[in-house]
Amino acid sequence: MKAIQLPATLRALIVGAIGICAASLSGCVTATVQEVREAETGMTEGDRVVVIGRRHKTRSETETDFIDCVSDQLTRNREPVNVMSEGEFVDSVFPWFEPLVAPLEVDDLSHVISKPLVAERIDEIGVRYLVWIEGHTERTAEAGRLTCNVISGAIPACIGFLTWDNDSNYEASIWDVRTGINAGRVSTEASGTSFVPAVVVPIPIIARVRQSACTSLSDQLQAFLVSES
Amino acid sequence: MNARTVNAPTQKCMVAVRLGLLPVAVAFAAFGCTGANVVVNTVVPSPLVESLPLRVGVFFDESLRGYVHEETVEDHGDFRIELGSVQVPVFERAFDALFEETVALSSIEATDGVAAVIVPVFEQLQFSIPAQTRGQFFEVWIKYRIDVFGSDGELLTSWALPAYGKSNERNFGFMEDSKGSGLTEASVWALRDAAAHLSLYFPRVPEVAELVQGGQG
Repeated sequence: MKAIQLPATLRALIVGAIGICAASLSGCVTATVQEVREAETGMTEGDRVVVIGRRHKTRSETETDFIDCVSDQLTRNREPVNVMSEGEFVDSVFPWFEPLVAPLEVDDLSHVISKPLVAERIDEIGVRYLVWIEGHTERTAEAGRLTCNVISGAIPACIGFLTWDNDSNYEASIWDVRTGINAGRVSTEASGTSFVPAVVVPIPIIARVRQSACTSLSDQLQAFLVSES
Repeated sequence: MNARTVNAPTQKCMVAVRLGLLPVAVAFAAFGCTGANVVVNTVVPSPLVESLPLRVGVFFDESLRGYVHEETVEDHGDFRIELGSVQVPVFERAFDALFEETVALSSIEATDGVAAVIVPVFEQLQFSIPAQTRGQFFEVWIKYRIDVFGSDGELLTSWALPAYGKSNERNFGFMEDSKGSGLTEASVWALRDAAAHLSLYFPRVPEVAELVQGGQG
């Protein structure tokens, strides 16, 4: 095959096109949310929420950016919730919420908050609800092949088709620190298929499964926390 | 035209190749073959625990001050984890919270009228990377020993303090040096675990409990 030298303008256009495609195209995602309420909730002025990941398992740990995403979304919703970051919280009550000593059940929480120093600190920082997140996103299937060759002018030319499926599965348990009870659970499942077709230029059509799970979980959490029932 | 086939060692490399990012794939292949040079630098918070009513001396030996772990992992390069400078402040903060008063000693013999002398000793560090375990975690295990001497210099107990830290490979970005970042984060969690276990379980050591009772009596 003859090497082709592309003009600089055309090269810029190709690179720009890749960027625009990547930014604008996204695959379809389906998400479902479920809620189980066990107690009344509601927030008063000064109450804060901590979204915290389970870290005691050696498999399937929740991604830190998912925890950050849920925390962030809770502060951006129509009725924003006052959120304390996970890092700030575990440092303030060190060592009681370290991965290997954190309470696994709500009964264990009662034991922790019965310590005067811990109770005083939690009161001081205003944490009312702990939202424990478990779950993760994984690739469940993939297929296809994409071959890229470098032609002169350092432009990659690709041909082929790639596809993969991602599934997200997360559950949030909401503990009321003030009363020491489990207020309920909110869970979300999301799945989507991503594609990368390529005829010279690969065009990624990415299904933002984890982002979708984050948005649906945080919307439901926000409604769960602020609305009394 | 140059047709390339990269037999990439990691998933990141495969993704890069599939997306046609050969230079990126080559860079990842290079990361995959090199180890990591980690200098751990962190501040572990002061534990929120009730102080024991004791005045103790604390002596930090060289094993804590200058420890550097060096290891070659077959097919994955040379690894160097420098823990030395960060361990002493971690233990200092933990002991300051655990005891009513602590005195930094220049030697084990310089007891300065304390009820006991405590000497944390570094014993061992082990680590693993996801490529070794086929898992998704960088893991660090540290083994310390806490020697407790009475005011007369007699060894009262040697208490084993194991610590564990892990870090999820998935938390690091596509272009990040995950080995360096992963081992740093796992080391930090291991140091936090050491401070957590020390502050929660050391007061339950029978010889320490006896010292407390003796001090109160």
